[in-house]
Amino acid sequence: MAVTSRTEPVRGVTLADAWRSFRTAIGLGWAIEANWSDPFLFAVYTMAKPLAAAGILVVMFQVISQGQNPEFLQFLIVGSALWNVVFGVMSGLVQSILDDRERYRMMKYIVVTPSSLFPFLLGRSLARVLLSFVAVVLTMAVGVLFLGVDLRPDLLYLLPAMVVGVLAVIALGVFMAGWCLQLRQEAGHYPDAIAGALYLISGAIFPIDILPSYLHPIAYASPTTWWLETSRRGLLGHGSPGVIGGLSDGTVMLFLVLSTAIAIPVALAAFAWFMRRARQAGLLDMVTGS
Amino acid sequence: MSRYGSTTAKNPREAAEWSAGRVIRSNLRAVVGRAYPRVISLAREPSWLFFEIFLPFLAVSAFVFVYRALDAPEDFIGFVVLGGAMTAFWLNVVWMMAAQFYWEKDQGNLELYFTAPMHLMSILAGMAIGGLVLTSSRALAVIGIGSLVYGVTYDVQQPFLLAGVFLLTMIPLYGMGMLFASLFLLWGREAFHLAELLQEPIYFLGGINFPLRAIGPLAGVVMATLPLGVGLDAMRQLAFADSGVQGVLPVGTEVGILAAMAVVFLVAARMALGYLELLARREGRLTLRWQ
Repeated sequence: MAVTSRTEPVRGVTLADAWRSFRTAIGLGWAIEANWSDPFLFAVYTMAKPLAAAGILVVMFQVISQGQNPEFLQFLIVGSALWNVVFGVMSGLVQSILDDRERYRMMKYIVVTPSSLFPFLLGRSLARVLLSFVAVVLTMAVGVLFLGVDLRPDLLYLLPAMVVGVLAVIALGVFMAGWCLQLRQEAGHYPDAIAGALYLISGAIFPIDILPSYLHPIAYASPTTWWLETSRRGLLGHGSPGVIGGLSDGTVMLFLVLSTAIAIPVALAAFAWFMRRARQAGLLDMVTGS
Repeated sequence: MSRYGSTTAKNPREAAEWSAGRVIRSNLRAVVGRAYPRVISLAREPSWLFFEIFLPFLAVSAFVFVYRALDAPEDFIGFVVLGGAMTAFWLNVVWMMAAQFYWEKDQGNLELYFTAPMHLMSILAGMAIGGLVLTSSRALAVIGIGSLVYGVTYDVQQPFLLAGVFLLTMIPLYGMGMLFASLFLLWGREAFHLAELLQEPIYFLGGINFPLRAIGPLAGVVMATLPLGVGLDAMRQLAFADSGVQGVLPVGTEVGILAAMAVVFLVAARMALGYLELLARREGRLTLRWQ
């Protein structure tokens, strides 16, 4: 009765509402990520994974090259460090949406509020994204202090590369989050699979030229390839070994901007479609055990 | 007055007062019952098969390409493929043994385990046997596909010893998983984070992608604590006999270490379970969901 007699329409989401959702979700995401342990164990957890991942590559490099070819070591360290962001964003966005749907079972309540899921999702995953940047800084610091990585940052090139590149990675994460809502099985594995595939084709830890030639077009179409390349140039002052390293700085930046300009609208449109379908098909409170 | 009203049994096994034969049969049924879902999932959950072969294969491929970019000898590609296959067992131990009691608690099964008249070691043994069967299929697939795609050649001069070392490695490895199953439950609320913490650092310390000698003195720590590293080092010496790869220790010594680790981890797992059971009964919190 109360609903049918209401004369005032429910107002749409204002910027202030979205900001409030975003801010609240940041606090929630941080609490979920960080309050399971004491600060010491949390710090160990935050540092051990990225440093060990980089350590594996460093030992592989040392075993084979015996310290020769330091440019390749720098290539490895920067790629390994930056990849934490891709993994953090992808897994952050997807795990946030899956946890809220299946573990905490709050997704349906969030969706029926007059707020929007999108700012909530971004805020909820921000803690993981920030932690991934901590991992980047740590890995780079170890590289500089102990492994002779020679950073020559060009901030005018690096900053736009980072901003555009991280937006591209967020777009990929948003797409994956919407996609995983549609899956009935193993949704939690998809971000690992996609991030793993991108890791392979993006030239994160080896030059793209090493890949079989049929994978080259996919590698060149991925914004992560161009983000890593622009970031390497912005941090080290030179590009990767191989063909991509022969391109000019402007060309590499142009490819990053172009691929990102395609990725963002496609991801947003896909996410909106995925959400519409999830509402219609009753997927917002589905429990798959993923 | 019923018998249960006056008894002071310490656990359901004591309260049941079964004959020795029935105790053995019940525990064997528990082992088979807990192994069954893992074995049968081989056929019923093909999506798992895809992900658990595809994901390790992606990781293996990335490291193979790094070695190719460095112009490494071809034997190193084989080291990576073998390491990638062993990763599947480690992931199984971490996610489906160590973290399993945590998931069981979340699903409400753990309190049922504590009230049933069989030993929890039977449940863990069932998990281990089921997991071993399940993961062996994935590890074999990674070795088969990796070897075919990347043209790995093996030089196995003592196949029975290699098979024996592999099987011997599995005992302390899964014993470690049994021990961690109790410890994860005791240590904290988020098994997910602890399991994540035991991935890359262990891949590094275990020499998954490079000969273990390369990490220098740290290899000594691995030899004393990590069955994955010891077993992998021995298996590499046996599977690539012509590569000239030097293990940290001779194979015979590493076999001895693995045997000692098997005893230590299984005894420690049993003691940890006993402590866990005591706490669960005394405090009544460990088995409750969302705690």
